[in-house]
Amino acid sequence: MVKQVPLSKEFLKGLWEQNPIFKQVLGMCPTLAVTVSAINGIAMALATTFVLVTASLLISTIRKLIPNQVRIAAYIVIIATFVTIVDLVMKAKFPELSKALGPFIPLIVVNCIILGRQEAFASKNTPFRALLDALGMGAGFFIALVSLGGIREIIGSRTFLGIQILPDAFEPWLIMILPAGAFLTLGLMLGFANMYTDRKKRIEKESLIEQYKRVSKVEISMAQEGI
Amino acid sequence: MNNVVKMILTLSIIGVVSGGLLSRIDNWADPLIAANQKAQTEEAIFKVQPEAQNYEPVNIAGIEAYKVSDASNNPLGYSLVYSGNGFQGKIRLMIGLTSDLEKITALEILEQVETPGLGTKVTEDPFRNQFKGLETLPQINWVKGINPSHPNEIQAITGATISSKAVVAIMNVGILKMRKLQKEGKI
Amino acid sequence: MTVTITEAGNTNKLELTTSPHLHNQWTTKKVMWMVVAALAPSLLAAVLFFGIYQLLIITTAVVFAVGTEYAIQTVRKQKLSVVDGSAALTGLLLALTLPPNFSLSSTAIGSIVAIGLGKQIFGGLGYNIFNPALVGRAFLQAAFPVAITTWSTNKFAVDSVTSATPLAAFKFDRITAGLSEMFLGSTGGSLGETSALAILIGGIFLIAVGIVNWRIPFSMIIGMIVFGAIFNFIDPVKYPAPLFHLFAGGFLFAAFFMATDWVTSPVTNKGMWIFGFGISFVLIVIRLFGGLPEGVMYSILFMNAFVPIINRVTIPKIFGSVKGAAA
Repeated sequence: MVKQVPLSKEFLKGLWEQNPIFKQVLGMCPTLAVTVSAINGIAMALATTFVLVTASLLISTIRKLIPNQVRIAAYIVIIATFVTIVDLVMKAKFPELSKALGPFIPLIVVNCIILGRQEAFASKNTPFRALLDALGMGAGFFIALVSLGGIREIIGSRTFLGIQILPDAFEPWLIMILPAGAFLTLGLMLGFANMYTDRKKRIEKESLIEQYKRVSKVEISMAQEGI
Repeated sequence: MNNVVKMILTLSIIGVVSGGLLSRIDNWADPLIAANQKAQTEEAIFKVQPEAQNYEPVNIAGIEAYKVSDASNNPLGYSLVYSGNGFQGKIRLMIGLTSDLEKITALEILEQVETPGLGTKVTEDPFRNQFKGLETLPQINWVKGINPSHPNEIQAITGATISSKAVVAIMNVGILKMRKLQKEGKI
Repeated sequence: MTVTITEAGNTNKLELTTSPHLHNQWTTKKVMWMVVAALAPSLLAAVLFFGIYQLLIITTAVVFAVGTEYAIQTVRKQKLSVVDGSAALTGLLLALTLPPNFSLSSTAIGSIVAIGLGKQIFGGLGYNIFNPALVGRAFLQAAFPVAITTWSTNKFAVDSVTSATPLAAFKFDRITAGLSEMFLGSTGGSLGETSALAILIGGIFLIAVGIVNWRIPFSMIIGMIVFGAIFNFIDPVKYPAPLFHLFAGGFLFAAFFMATDWVTSPVTNKGMWIFGFGISFVLIVIRLFGGLPEGVMYSILFMNAFVPIINRVTIPKIFGSVKGAAA
């Protein structure tokens, strides 16, 4: 099977077209739970991206050695190994961050973005493509988590990355740093993302129809002139 | 048959490699994690007993307790870890007590999952500082909306009465336990 | 919300109560303005008890509710339904559930959320699952928990020291407010909820003209008395008397003006009874065992979610149909 997809596309598709949060709506548990601040979002996204990249690279390298029947078990063991490494390193070197992210680091094991990419991509592609794909998906996850965490932090506690940016006169909306705020913000973001995609599709369709009309007009006039 | 062997072999190899890798990393991380935890506890012990220089863990039934003393080993009192239920989950806190168990030196909240922005105010200075030098006899009381008028009273946080009450209740229960043990001559 | 179909000059020969058919004399516009009229006594009471500033809160809430509806419908290129008064009514109801002297900017946020997230996001009037005014109120409760439980003192309060609501006073300090004070409204509380008398005048007017079905308020009140009496019987010190529950907090206001919202309440008679009892039950559990002193808002929102199921299981049998036979 010859791949037609350009390499740049493998990376870029994760940013928007197949963004794990906005388009695939995967990995909702960490997305909703840890994004009370931008820094939490950054840490979670980096941890997930590390696991995603290393697991994808390894699994696509040994993809031909793993028998089909036990592939899921093998993927989970590999993913769990990397997650445990991240967990231990964070506990040893960044105890504060590890406390803030709480039980969500071990839960990266069952983050469906990671297992999903192994099953859908890494197990069928070369290591280089798998690496690009994992980096793209990780970057997409990063964008989503930081924007979600940033919005919630700015409105919910007036700060961004711990620096106060809204004046004291603005009374923070506590709901934004409560779980309800996560659902509301993510829901509205998904809604606007869909609105944007729909509009783009509609415009594309309309321009295609226009183009077709023009072409057929030319053909008709050509026919009339007897060419 | 051949396939079954291959399956077992693959999973075994992955398992062994991953186990080996993890044990190496754990060997490296374990002392660091333990040191972090110890540093955190130590920091809290000295925070709630600002004059203390030394501490030693004491073995009291069911309570995590540290006996603290000053530079010349004169006993100053205790740093005690208590936990109980807050508004949404467990609150774990450490208090410093004088040796006669009659005065609180300071309060630190170690762990809590209260409502962000409201119940979490129990971890902030304006609330915690009220406990400095607070008397514990006959027990700690809280008032709402007015300034405390007795040496054993604190003011509850507006909008987070339940969290404030929970902190006070955890301390009262814990201090009572200590007092009982002292009467029995166990400490 | 009984809706009757009457042929002109032919009084009440045919009465259907299941589907939301509109009586031909009621247009949305007319109904909405009737409800506004029924709220007039409560509005007066709010200004009387808490001062003229409250009119500013009410105006802000109404203006922003109407403005949000107008803005969203313009952006989505829909037919403008602003004149029908439903958005204005939502704003008015929201304002009456707010504490006196509440900040105007927060009121505006509440109105925008009520119309935007409570109503228009579902598709506008008739499509929303939850009572929009209560969605706005719930959002404000979660966003500004301190401001929304800061009560100003009632001008006619007997005990001018405390400004706490009767429910909060009972929950935190075990003080029971006098029944006559709660009936007339000289206690602390939200703008529209303190005076039971004003609410009853408006509520009975709405029932009399047939806009509000008596079953929902009636079942809520019966439920409250029954559940309240049971707990009061178990432990009179710990649990207050049923009449206290009835007049305290926003119960009566919610019973007549919130729970009876046409869009978010059941359409069958049996369903209305279930709905009313359900609200009372959830409410008494929150009031007696929950962390918050008052929970009528949450109990109505909670039961709103059950309305589609209630409607489904209480569909009346079609006359002449046989159980189990194919339709």
